[in-house]
Amino acid sequence: MPAGSPGPAAQSARRPPPLLPLLLLCVLGAPRAGSGAHTAVISPQDPTLLIGSSLQATCSVHGDPPGATAEGLYWTLNGRRLAPELSRVLNASTLALALANLNGSRQQSGDNLVCHARDGSILAGSCLYVGLPPEKPFNISCWSKNMKDLTCRWTPGAHGETFLHTNYSLKYKLRWYGQDNTCEEYHTVGPHSCHIPKDLALFTPYEIWVEATNRLGSARSDVLTLDILDVVTTDPPPDVHVSRVGGLEDQLSVRWVSPPALKDFLFQAKYQIRYRVEDSVDWKVVDDVSNQTSCRLAGLKPGTVYFVQVRCNPFGIYGSKKAGIWSEWSHPTAASTPRSERPGLGGGACEPRGGEPSSGPVRRELKQFLGWLKKHAYCSNLSFRLYDQWRAWMQKSHKTRNQDEGILPSGRRGTARGPAR
Amino acid sequence: MSRREGSLDPQADSSVSLLPHLEAKIRQTHSLAHLLTKYAEQLLQEYVQHQGDPFGLPGFSPPRLPVAGLSAPAPSQAGLPLPERLRLDAAALAALPPMLDAVRRRQAELNPHAPRLLRHLEDAARQARALGAAVETVLAALGAAARGPRPEPPAAATAAGVFPAKVLGLRVCGLYRDWVSRTEGDLSQLVPGGPA
Repeated sequence: MPAGSPGPAAQSARRPPPLLPLLLLCVLGAPRAGSGAHTAVISPQDPTLLIGSSLQATCSVHGDPPGATAEGLYWTLNGRRLAPELSRVLNASTLALALANLNGSRQQSGDNLVCHARDGSILAGSCLYVGLPPEKPFNISCWSKNMKDLTCRWTPGAHGETFLHTNYSLKYKLRWYGQDNTCEEYHTVGPHSCHIPKDLALFTPYEIWVEATNRLGSARSDVLTLDILDVVTTDPPPDVHVSRVGGLEDQLSVRWVSPPALKDFLFQAKYQIRYRVEDSVDWKVVDDVSNQTSCRLAGLKPGTVYFVQVRCNPFGIYGSKKAGIWSEWSHPTAASTPRSERPGLGGGACEPRGGEPSSGPVRRELKQFLGWLKKHAYCSNLSFRLYDQWRAWMQKSHKTRNQDEGILPSGRRGTARGPAR
Repeated sequence: MSRREGSLDPQADSSVSLLPHLEAKIRQTHSLAHLLTKYAEQLLQEYVQHQGDPFGLPGFSPPRLPVAGLSAPAPSQAGLPLPERLRLDAAALAALPPMLDAVRRRQAELNPHAPRLLRHLEDAARQARALGAAVETVLAALGAAARGPRPEPPAAATAAGVFPAKVLGLRVCGLYRDWVSRTEGDLSQLVPGGPA
């Protein structure tokens, strides 16, 4: 909302009205002969102003019969009535308005400044465009998918907030010859991006820049010079397979295929693998998987599900000296390591050492519990037999029960994984 | 039912039934008008949201200045014979598409980041054209089509300033809603079993 005190006359940038075809006009403000209605004209019409600047406007009433008066007129801005002290009657038919320290426009279609008659009816309107000129776009980055196209994105200057519609145009040309070209497919990977789908040359540098334009001015980014071959990326490796390495409980083998689009050119491709435990969000990354399509992961936990992904960097394609751009990660592939056979390692089988049969109460509930335990615990060999042996042992060793209640005869605690987090 | 032009009497002898395909066409056209009435109301709401206050505020009432080539449905037209009302509906629906296109072009300048609004304005022009053609088909099938070639709708009105353009667009969207709603009402009188 504008501040309250009148300010000096504003230097407002005005755009001339567009040329009109030979049509009937519906212009708010054109008086209708013989209707007895009053209308008005606001000046200036649709001004463009800098944030913080001032505006002086007038509403001139005319109508039929003549002698329309400015008495009782008032202003609203975006539907809110402006304070009377901001207005003054210039003459019998003209009401003036002075706004200072204007804020940025509330909507891109312009702030609605309206002149009202005493009864509230709308006599005329004008739209204010208050904002900032664009700042220089920066941080242009580009990549080419399989050398077939080029996608670029950039950061708008001043974080894009000019309060005015600002048009961004990505331009490009071959460095030493050729004409300026304009990218046409915008917003492909975000609001400030553009995609050039075809007709790109290899082995010769391009110059790329972004031009930003709005009602208050324009700005141009620095020029980025690049060779398509230096910014190539590709598809993730397909057909990623993860499998056990025989019975080795701490290893998994990962195999994949070179991305087909660049298969014949990836002489020096680099790959990266990342993996994580099923219930974890922390990935471990294996670097330095150069130009191979298989790898063995070691030092893993036995009996654990792992998710694995692979990505590719088409490094050195066609002799490029640059690093290349990593592809997206492949879809996750899962596999589990074998469970450990050794006792005490993450809860292996719970084997009884020897036992005595017995009978016990609540066997139905116990059966349900054992079923749940088999599903969720690492003790795969629980059974009634084990329970009966435990009961026998408990009855025999009354003194031991007081000390060790809840501990299995083997001296180990039965582990339960519990519900997955 | 009489086949004389202008004799679409919804009170006609009930023993005379419409041909099944014509009946189906009438029902279909009525359903289309019903659907477009809802869309037209949504378009109007969406339009005012993008123009900023006071558009959309309760009590906002800009001057209802005439739009070249199209007036609002008049209450007095309710007394006209049904075929005449349907001919007026068809004429209005034929006049609306270029106006809606003009509104869309202007909104593309004023609200370039409102793709839904722009798409809905484009859809409205297409839907008005389709409904108008469907009404004319019904009239022709009933032997009540307008005589002679229909005059070309005038080119769309435009406005010089931005605020008048916003008001004009509001007016056009309102006229679209009003005429689609009127068409639905008129067609309901033809639907077998519908209100008299």
